[in-house]
Amino acid sequence: MAETSTDQSSSAGIDLSQFYQVFFEEAGENLQNMEQLLLELDIEAADDEELNAIFRCAHSIKGGAATFGFTDVAELTHQMETLLDKLRRHELVPTPPMVDVLLQSGDALKAMLARHQGSGGDTVDTTELLFSIRALVEGGSAPVAAAAALPAAAPAPARTVATGMTQAPTSGDRTVELRVGPLTDPSQADNLVDLFKEIADLGSIEPLADDPALEGVRRFKVKTATDESELLDLFTFHVAREQVSFVALGGAPAAEPAADPGYGFFDDAPGQPAAQQAAPAENKGYGFFDDAPGSPASATQAPTGPTEPPAAPKPVVPAVAAVKPVAKADKPAAGLEASTIRVSVEKVDQLINLVGELVITQAMLAQNSRGLDPVVYQQLVSGLTDLDRNTRDLQEAVMSIRMIPMSTVFSRFPRMLRDLANKLGKKVELVTQGEATELDKGLVEKITDPLTHLVRNSCDHGIEMPDDRLARGKPEVGTITLAASHQGGSIVIEVRDDGRGLSREKLLKKAREKGIDAPDSLTDSEVWALIFAPGFSTADEVTDVSGRGVGMDVVKRNITSLGGTVEIDSAEGYGMRVAVRLPLTLAIMDGMSVGVGEEVYILPLSSVVESFQVTPEMVKTVGGSGRVVEVREEYMPVIELEKVFTVPRFDWEHTSGIMVVVEAESGRVALLVDELLGQQQVVVKNLETNYRKVSDVSGATIMGDGRVALILDVGSLVRRTRH
Amino acid sequence: MHSILAVDDSASMRQMVSFTLKSAGYNVVEAVDGQDAWEKAGSRSFDLVLTDQNMPRMDGISLTKKLRESPQFKTTPILILTTESSDQMKQAGRAAGATGWLVKPFDPNKLIEVIQKVIR
Repeated sequence: MAETSTDQSSSAGIDLSQFYQVFFEEAGENLQNMEQLLLELDIEAADDEELNAIFRCAHSIKGGAATFGFTDVAELTHQMETLLDKLRRHELVPTPPMVDVLLQSGDALKAMLARHQGSGGDTVDTTELLFSIRALVEGGSAPVAAAAALPAAAPAPARTVATGMTQAPTSGDRTVELRVGPLTDPSQADNLVDLFKEIADLGSIEPLADDPALEGVRRFKVKTATDESELLDLFTFHVAREQVSFVALGGAPAAEPAADPGYGFFDDAPGQPAAQQAAPAENKGYGFFDDAPGSPASATQAPTGPTEPPAAPKPVVPAVAAVKPVAKADKPAAGLEASTIRVSVEKVDQLINLVGELVITQAMLAQNSRGLDPVVYQQLVSGLTDLDRNTRDLQEAVMSIRMIPMSTVFSRFPRMLRDLANKLGKKVELVTQGEATELDKGLVEKITDPLTHLVRNSCDHGIEMPDDRLARGKPEVGTITLAASHQGGSIVIEVRDDGRGLSREKLLKKAREKGIDAPDSLTDSEVWALIFAPGFSTADEVTDVSGRGVGMDVVKRNITSLGGTVEIDSAEGYGMRVAVRLPLTLAIMDGMSVGVGEEVYILPLSSVVESFQVTPEMVKTVGGSGRVVEVREEYMPVIELEKVFTVPRFDWEHTSGIMVVVEAESGRVALLVDELLGQQQVVVKNLETNYRKVSDVSGATIMGDGRVALILDVGSLVRRTRH
Repeated sequence: MHSILAVDDSASMRQMVSFTLKSAGYNVVEAVDGQDAWEKAGSRSFDLVLTDQNMPRMDGISLTKKLRESPQFKTTPILILTTESSDQMKQAGRAAGATGWLVKPFDPNKLIEVIQKVIR
């Protein structure tokens, strides 16, 4: 497949495009990393290690981008790197505008990378960003105020690290001839002309007539005070270093021949032809330290090695010949990451499914072996015990592959809130709690959008303007808290803010305007739930931040479709709290099996509070049909599963005598069952996809004996009793 | 067959370098940073070490210094891949005992070209 391709990305017969995917992934990670580091950066007391880490992100992206030919990405990261380099060397002090511009650059890079990956989008114009960064870089060596005033300042004079090696004068305007080429596409050189336009202090550039003797070489007359290595640095992202040369105007090459000599050695390397010594090392892109171990010079002196002096000006051929077009493009991807591997989610899911089947088989074996005499079958029984334990461990380990910490979701919010608050002129602080809480990857992906919406809402509608807050005696800076925690078999993610909260009157008024039936008798939580009605918006004016009020109903629908629930609490003037409750994973759960007549039902173990034998006097009838049971001076509704599922009874003498108390959505009910059968892990099979939706049932599972048992939806049972 | 230790924290660069070298018939061992390279160099010798400069945990200069201290790598060619060709970098490279440097971005051709100068 990977024949030697002839497009731009091929080099020396190697198709560089085969490395793009890795580069994109890596660059994406670096960008994310950089953003997080920037957001966490304490501007007043920036830590060296942090600055280095940020620098390294930009540096790494630049290296890859330049190598793989993404010049726009390389150019921007180069500028970022220049700024970051000055920061980490303490030549500049970090300022909020720097963080801003670096964050914006990160966004621009994301867009560029997405474009290169073929996801479309407009070309990203980085002119302004480049200007701003340069101005900031400049700002350090000039008086501080000058930074803003001189947006087009050139980077050159500020450079303190001299790049030696060139013979060119480093001060005062001079006029030289710039030769670029040979180029396959002569218009490449136009970028250099643009560069001079872009950077005012760089000098002037005028095209010269092409020299027929130099095919494909563009000539320019350049008047500049910037030294040549600086210029080369600037040019390097448009044309290769080797293709650029400076020549005394109208004369012979000043510094080196126009064509790349290919190689040369460090100044006084032994055995070098005299002419070679003049070539500045930078232009080759590599060099050797003269007397260093292993250098070609020292190799020639070694008695053992073949004593062939490296003949200097011979044009270089070997690389092309040595590189064989390789037909296996998929090979190099293997074994790359030392500590992590990337695996497709499908593979993991397949594994989970197989483990699920194994769990069922194990449960079946366990059940069938129950009747065996442990004395006779001692080895078999102990083997089965081991199998039981190993299966459980295996299952846990496999499930953990899919679990990722909530921090992967939370990490996007600091940036989003920062931008949003700036836009709205609000002051908001984000507090995150329980970032280490793990959640199934599939759920994480699906919960991100609804959470984003909730956080936006809090910032836009909840948090007041700083002045309003002060007037109300609140701190100027509003707080939005994102908290994740495990509660039983669920994860609860809360979005809290200390803003203005929901207004009961306003919501009721609005609902009535929209034609929604909203009597005054509604409880608070019913009123809050109104915001989930389609087309409901609580802000007086539609803003471009929280959209047009089409969001909350979608949020609710998305969460419900994941088997989750949303609850709202609010106190007007003090803020609100939205709690999203989701199942931890959709695939496997711990269940308690209960028997009713001939049927077996599974209760999620996490929702089971207690169970007890019931006596008739404990159950009281209220309001006609409702029955309640008294447990430790607390009354809770009784649900007879037998009636809910109309279980056929053959034994008329039998009465259900066991209550199982279950809890969900902050409500408790007592379920009346015949017997408790035991606890086991069950593999949840979706009933909707395999059969159809059944109310009060969240799924089904296959029992050890091969029978199907329904898994009860405790939340729905609890809701039953509320109506 | 010559063995090369290729050190770079960037997976894409590592992949590119490794693929280029393998295509040219070299044996390649990859390391993700200086520390990793140092550990890998402990168990065997190489004909050439090709290392990135800026890496977490241990950078290219420190790696070079450490390698030079071990008898096994006294004369092994060590090339530093760097994006900066400043004097400062060169001085640091020379002081650490590196054989030479190669400026990034480079073309795979150039890489092979340079390598063929130091090992044959």
